[in-house]
Amino acid sequence: MKSIVAVRNLSKTYHIGQLRNSNPTLRDALVGAFGSPVSFLRARRHGDGTTLNALQDVSFNVEPGEVVGIIGRNGAGKSTLLKILARIVKPTSGEVDIYGRVGSLLQVGTGFHPDLSGRENIFLNGAILGMKSIEIRRNFDEIVSFSEVGRFLDTAVKYYSSGMYLRLAFAIAAHLEPEVLLLDEVLAVGDESFQKKCRAKIKSVSRDGRTVFFVSHNMKAIGDLCRRVLLIRSGRLYEGSNPQNMIAEYLDEVATAEAHHASLPANTYESTVLPSA
Amino acid sequence: MSISENVSLRVSRQPESGGEFSESADQQVSLPLPSKPVIRIRASKRWTPLDLREIWAHRELLYFLIWRDLKVRYKQTLFGVSWVVLQPILMTLVFALFLGKIARVPSSNVPYMLFLYSGLLPWTFFTNSVSTSSHSLIASAQMITKVYFPRSLVPLAAVLVRLSDFLAASVILFILMVYYGRAFTSAMLLVPFLMLHLTLLALSLGLLFAALNVKYRDIGTVLPVLLQLWLFASPVIYPATFVPAKWKWLYDLNPLAGLISGFRAALLNAGFDRRGLLVSLSITLVLLIYSTFVFKRMEDEFADVV
Repeated sequence: MKSIVAVRNLSKTYHIGQLRNSNPTLRDALVGAFGSPVSFLRARRHGDGTTLNALQDVSFNVEPGEVVGIIGRNGAGKSTLLKILARIVKPTSGEVDIYGRVGSLLQVGTGFHPDLSGRENIFLNGAILGMKSIEIRRNFDEIVSFSEVGRFLDTAVKYYSSGMYLRLAFAIAAHLEPEVLLLDEVLAVGDESFQKKCRAKIKSVSRDGRTVFFVSHNMKAIGDLCRRVLLIRSGRLYEGSNPQNMIAEYLDEVATAEAHHASLPANTYESTVLPSA
Repeated sequence: MSISENVSLRVSRQPESGGEFSESADQQVSLPLPSKPVIRIRASKRWTPLDLREIWAHRELLYFLIWRDLKVRYKQTLFGVSWVVLQPILMTLVFALFLGKIARVPSSNVPYMLFLYSGLLPWTFFTNSVSTSSHSLIASAQMITKVYFPRSLVPLAAVLVRLSDFLAASVILFILMVYYGRAFTSAMLLVPFLMLHLTLLALSLGLLFAALNVKYRDIGTVLPVLLQLWLFASPVIYPATFVPAKWKWLYDLNPLAGLISGFRAALLNAGFDRRGLLVSLSITLVLLIYSTFVFKRMEDEFADVV
């Protein structure tokens, strides 16, 4: 079958110098430019030599309808990969071709305005996520019933409980209709029954022939949803034939790291399982 | 949740999830794929023009960004729309008192109130547009790091919100014109074109400062001072004829000089300063092209830096 997402030799490099001083003042730039023009230009072109390879030479293809789990430890490069696929950041080198529209949900409730009502935020957030207003209107009733906040639809969302807020936000995103859907650790919201609903939604999205990328630290959800698992380790991609093996390998990696940091509090691993949203 | 629990959950889930997968595979619908990629992601190129097609494709988001700002403003403020009108009125009253009554600034045979308002109206639009759009990208940092859309929509929306404020405040101008018995002439047909010109000028500065502000936060501190000085360097509270003839060429290099004089001339049917307008138009177009390229150049970095 033809792939819907083709990723070839993707790399993303951050200059650590740039990261450390991410808000340089105008004065720095001017002093740099006028004080020593030659070294200033050279520094801009080459950085100060300290670089961080968030992604290194990543290549893979994904077929339509696949649910792809992306796992790895904090800082491994999972979110960078998702952000490049979502076109939020540009790669340093490499190519991605996507044969369809992309919808991304990297954070629940992006662009929600606290002073606007639930109803108004459905339209605003839908537009931000890339839905056409006809699409939003068509799905409006379904979004409201999925979110279970119907009674408070005309209340400003700043008065919502955090659970209501997250449910509404996820409900909007769940009704995105792109061919490729990117999800970053969003399933961690809500209670057990809501999570179950979300997992069912993801399965039905995949049944419709749409492709889902799914970053999570929750191996239960990954194992449950994904037929394919990509493991990222310090910016490099690993993939085996069996998703369960990848999950086991990741858990080993975490356990090894934990043994190394035995002096740290015992619940370090737990904190990585909790929602980072 | 400990690791061992996690593993056991995974193992116990296996048959169940396996069953679901085979079931879903049976029912799966396959969508026809386009022959060419819809989205091509490449490393950023150095200089590219603003992608107008991409902006057009996201016009609904632009509409919702404007809608949000207007909606929120009228929910948060007690007097809603009246602030938009009150700002130029209050400034007019203050300047009328200090400059008209006390300093007796001449206003080329036009009632000083009307003279002031017709200058402060486009000035208020300009200064508010530039300051809000310059701050707009930083204020939308959360959106920029989480969703893709053409970043230029954010400062563009900020300018268009201010344009709607301008339209609301224009009502007062209309009332003043009637009150002072000014004739409505065909020269007024030029006003929309002058407004388009002014909007493009405000937009180009807004794009430029918004992009620079992401990287150099000093812009936010320097800009209010710059705009304050700019007010006195433009024929807003005094007529351009105030400027000695031998310095007129230098004065006209301020693109607002020709524009605000032109705005006033169109409204009050006074003589047009064609040269000043033409200089302003040329500077505006050069600035617009420069700003859009700078914006596009820096746009790829926004999510990394903001």
